[in-house]
Amino acid sequence: MVAVFPKLDPPPSLARSVALLAAALLLAACTSGGGETGGATTAPATTAAPPRPLEVTLRTTARGPERGFDAKRAAKRAAPGIERFLDRYLTVAFVDAAGGEGGWDRLLAMFDEPVRAAARKQLDALSLGAAAPAVTAVQPGRASARAAVLYGSRPVAATVRLAFDGTAATAKGSGQVHLRSVLQLLWTRGGWRIAAFDSRTGAPA
Amino acid sequence: MSRRGSSRAARRAVAGMAALGVAAALATAAAVTVARRPAAGAEGTPAITVQRAHAGSATPTLKRRIVLLTIGSDAGAPKFGRGGSAEGGRADALHLVVLDTVRRRGLMMSFPRDSYVPIPGHGTNKINAAMAFGGPPLLVATFERLTGIPIDYYVLTSFDGLTDIVNRVGGVQVNVDMNIRDHFAGAVLDKGKRTLRGHQALAYARARKTLPGGDLSRSRHQGQILMGGLGTYQRQVAKDPARVMAWLAIMRDEVRSDLPFPELLRLALLATKLPPSKIRSQVVPSAAGSAGSASVVRLLPGAYSLFARVRAGKLG
Repeated sequence: MVAVFPKLDPPPSLARSVALLAAALLLAACTSGGGETGGATTAPATTAAPPRPLEVTLRTTARGPERGFDAKRAAKRAAPGIERFLDRYLTVAFVDAAGGEGGWDRLLAMFDEPVRAAARKQLDALSLGAAAPAVTAVQPGRASARAAVLYGSRPVAATVRLAFDGTAATAKGSGQVHLRSVLQLLWTRGGWRIAAFDSRTGAPA
Repeated sequence: MSRRGSSRAARRAVAGMAALGVAAALATAAAVTVARRPAAGAEGTPAITVQRAHAGSATPTLKRRIVLLTIGSDAGAPKFGRGGSAEGGRADALHLVVLDTVRRRGLMMSFPRDSYVPIPGHGTNKINAAMAFGGPPLLVATFERLTGIPIDYYVLTSFDGLTDIVNRVGGVQVNVDMNIRDHFAGAVLDKGKRTLRGHQALAYARARKTLPGGDLSRSRHQGQILMGGLGTYQRQVAKDPARVMAWLAIMRDEVRSDLPFPELLRLALLATKLPPSKIRSQVVPSAAGSAGSASVVRLLPGAYSLFARVRAGKLG
């Protein structure tokens, strides 16, 4: 079957395709542009979309008594608790810290008492720190960790290398936030606590 | 104009409008894309700097002085044919380590095992006999009575423990301070900086009979092994922080102590930032002597002055 077009119509292979593409692009551009304009004047772009949940990717190894110790099984058992702790740490230090209204007590409570005073003086290296009041929202990006756990009858200590990247929105625009930390964890009656740290923020990895 | 000509013109007009539309759309889309991209300047540069670069680190501040008695037992070492328990043996290596955890410095006092001292409930005897009489608690009590310095914790190992620790951490770097050919202890070592394996470290810690200074030189060498261990630990942890867990696992297997684990971890973390050069090592002033037919070591007045200074809060 052969399609017949009026002679005045442009050939479908060129003009119609171009017109359709133009219409689609215009529509897309106008939609995007309107959204962005609205975001810039009323609310930061990062609050327009539902925030991506924070998810820490954790690799765990375990050390235990020299004899009769199943390292694989122990690592598997220790992982969920450490993952929860790191998730909470990044939430408190970055995601929930935006706006700077909550203070840092929740974060400092995650440190072992003998290192808490030092942590209080170095919040900028451990969290959003002094930048928090200017930040309206933090969109978590990559969060990964490697943990070496020491086992007694249960996990008693761990060395964790933690890396976190995110995007922070402010009234002036958005930018990247980064954390690279080595945390030495101690298991206490209150759960995991940070007993020592070596931490960097701000500069990209 | 012919019909054919007008049709061509109309087609051109439509195509032209469409092209303009595409161009406008592309321009708008590009502008929007640029506006939305967080990186504005050079490739990968954030639109704004939210947080400047910061770095920080901390180890525990225990806010007090900690005193440890380190003990090397001559028992509980099946690999060396030494039966019994380490706690029931004689304490042949004795060091009182005083750590100022705030100023990050310390003093290690080495005691000759033959030091002739009062042992609570057992008259006067060689200090190494105290542990055989009453285990680590009596040895601790003996030291406290002798020095007047309260001891927080003891740390005890055996011949097997020392050799296993040294081998499992990959050797300990020690500055051997003399050429040694002591076949009684199996020590064949040349002067200089050496990485000692387990059996060499034990031999260096035990060699006495052929050394000038005898028991005093031996005590000094034991202190050097402890300080060498600290240096080795710090170098390994600086390269890989997870080595803290490896060392703790080894210590748990090879060492007996009344240190609660949280305190042990805090001390291990504090030790990562404790410069060995800030720990003064000293054999307590003493001299060879005798008690009846037994050869012993007698503490000199300088030893008691040293204890008094430490009691007063000084480190040597």
